[in-house]
Amino acid sequence: MTPASRERLGTKLGKLDRPGTVVWLLLAPTLLYLAAFAIFPLFYSLRLSFTDLTAAAGTGDWVGLRNYGDLLRDPHFWNATKNSAVMVSASLAIQVVLGVALAMFFNLQLRGAWLVRGILVLPMLITPIVVGVMWRALLNPDWGLVNWCIEAVGLEPPNWFGSIEMAMPTLILVESWQWTPFVFIIVYARLQALPQEVFEAAIVDGAKPLATFRFVTLPLLMPAIVFAAVFRAVDSFRSFDLIFGLSYGGPARSTTTLSFFSFQNGFQWQNYGYAAAASYMMLLILAVGTIVLLRFVQIRPGYAK
Amino acid sequence: MGKRTMSGQKGNPGKGILGGVDRRQVIKGAGAAGVTAAALPGLLGTRGAFAADYDPMKYAGTEINILMTGDENDHRALDDLLPEMKAETGIDLVVSAPALGPLIEKTLQNLKAEQSSFELIEYLGFLTTQQVGGGYFMQLNEFIDDPAETPPDWDFDDFIPAAMKNVGYYDMATGTVGKGTDVYGVPGLHSGSVIYFYRKDLFEEAGLQPASTWDEFMAAAQALHSDDVAGCSFIGANDFSLATVDWYTRFITTGGSLMSGDPNEKNFMPQINSPEGINALQMLIDYLPYAPKNVTQYGFAENVDGFSTGRIAQMIFWSTIAGPVLNEENSLVADVTGTAPVPAGPGHMPSAIQGGWGVGIPANIDPAKRGAAWRALTWVTNKRINRYSIEAYNIDANRTSAFKDPELLETFPYLEHALSAIENAVTIPTSRIPEFFQMNAMMNVEFNAALIGAQDAKTACDNVQAQWEDVLRKAGHLA
Repeated sequence: MTPASRERLGTKLGKLDRPGTVVWLLLAPTLLYLAAFAIFPLFYSLRLSFTDLTAAAGTGDWVGLRNYGDLLRDPHFWNATKNSAVMVSASLAIQVVLGVALAMFFNLQLRGAWLVRGILVLPMLITPIVVGVMWRALLNPDWGLVNWCIEAVGLEPPNWFGSIEMAMPTLILVESWQWTPFVFIIVYARLQALPQEVFEAAIVDGAKPLATFRFVTLPLLMPAIVFAAVFRAVDSFRSFDLIFGLSYGGPARSTTTLSFFSFQNGFQWQNYGYAAAASYMMLLILAVGTIVLLRFVQIRPGYAK
Repeated sequence: MGKRTMSGQKGNPGKGILGGVDRRQVIKGAGAAGVTAAALPGLLGTRGAFAADYDPMKYAGTEINILMTGDENDHRALDDLLPEMKAETGIDLVVSAPALGPLIEKTLQNLKAEQSSFELIEYLGFLTTQQVGGGYFMQLNEFIDDPAETPPDWDFDDFIPAAMKNVGYYDMATGTVGKGTDVYGVPGLHSGSVIYFYRKDLFEEAGLQPASTWDEFMAAAQALHSDDVAGCSFIGANDFSLATVDWYTRFITTGGSLMSGDPNEKNFMPQINSPEGINALQMLIDYLPYAPKNVTQYGFAENVDGFSTGRIAQMIFWSTIAGPVLNEENSLVADVTGTAPVPAGPGHMPSAIQGGWGVGIPANIDPAKRGAAWRALTWVTNKRINRYSIEAYNIDANRTSAFKDPELLETFPYLEHALSAIENAVTIPTSRIPEFFQMNAMMNVEFNAALIGAQDAKTACDNVQAQWEDVLRKAGHLA
């Protein structure tokens, strides 16, 4: 290699040495991945929501806001929105209360707690569709184990998915069974990391256990609870596979949530434009809901201090 | 592992269609006996003259891909016989068999692509208009009429005419399925309709005849109902078959007509809340005291399970369940189950919905593969597969010869009624439009809501009527 060519190579390598170049080179694979699998589909489906694309009849012509207008006039969309709201709020309340209670209980460090703790988190390791199918079998009115147990003690089993009144509570129950452990783990981990001095100070000040929980533990746990709640709210709002496996949106649309509504329109009836619009309405609701939830927490900054 | 033969035995898979004699052996033996080529078609029961220039290995080495349903047993029957296909044609058939939802999606993706990845696609009869009518499939008449391309024993005329009308003939000019002579698909891999199942022992004990009218059906349900056996059952869940089997059968056999007008003329009007429509749903509501306690959650599996375990006295159902119900290995009531045509109202003929599938060649396949695709299509729809499907998997066939096979009839007496059900079945008018599944789903939801007591029959029918009209207007089928 001549000195001149060595110099040229050195200049090129020198360019690579610039921090900006290396950063972009390292980021490139991730950016490409995000562009292909997140950003492009996002914009593609947004465009789709302004078209009349269906599998067979539609042409994919631009229809402006028609799909959104139709959605707002569609009683089934509002029914699905209501069901989503009920499911998210109810299951979230159950999961947070139970999750915190369990975390407090296991924080007592009772003997054998590690084993129970291990078993307790198992539900959230199961795929939601499997949870749905499993609970559908357990709650089968003819041969389900749950009904058999209830009948064995002389009681009349509820009509889990045979009545409009019972279907949503059953869905919330199963959703809570699966995801309470998630809240429990987050809160429990935070609980383990709390500084002991404040609790000792509370004891010295003569605080009773309930007061300690109310004024010391809970505020300190709040960041973890909020994180778990937001995460679960978003996840629960998008929940589809559990419903698909468990109730299939029925009876009489009583468990049809927005994600199931979008699935039916998009993948069962191939109304792609309409389904895309429904998905974007979901996104909008979710964004607003999350902002409100976070704002609600932010107006009480004392909790996190 | 040995291959299952036509008679379910291990051994040479090629035997059986001609009573344990291979087709090639017959041809070879006939040649040795001095039988002329012209006489062979008659001997083999074929359609045209034996084609001397027909070369079964013409497309050897070609790979053909078929997209078909994985929800039923068709693909299993086909899988079993693939080695024979390879041996006889040299074609490598690659089978993709997803569930119905993904199948429809994948089908549409391929039909609309520049070139389809699948040279053969199976489509549901209810989607003939959407997929064949969309112009996505090749016309097959030239192939059918070409003795050099069509196996001499394929026997086009053997397909049940009603099944052909459901999936095969399509008139592009008027957009009408079942009209004209242009063939775009072939019934395959199975057809089917609805028949009546009843417990012979219970009916005999009670001195009853199997119901031939809906009044008799109700009377039998009342008479036979007990703590152990439900007097009748039906699809009560929010399930595809609630509307298409139980409601629609009662509706059309009591004088109902689902649609009036024509989608092309934008006057395609539903008649759901007609007196017949409301009455058909009311019939189902009236059965509730004599049906299984949880019948409103009974879909396909629950009813088959209930009947097979002796907990149901009578029901109408897809004839395709007859195999499992009459199979002693699966059913506790195999020897006491009777079948008959579905009941009907006074002055009406037994009739039900036409089910089944068609198989065709997408118009956008690699042109070089068209001949091989047709060859593969004739193989997967041949008599041998039809017979084997019944024998091994109790799949309803689509060839008259399979239904009338004496050996099969002896084993499966229900075939007689299954054939007449297919022959008398009607293509549901809403299958003419792509919104069929959406409209059917709306109906199932509302009818199920009526069955669980959330609304009465008239409200349910009014709701469906309004929802259907809305869909039809949006789709441009109703002005």
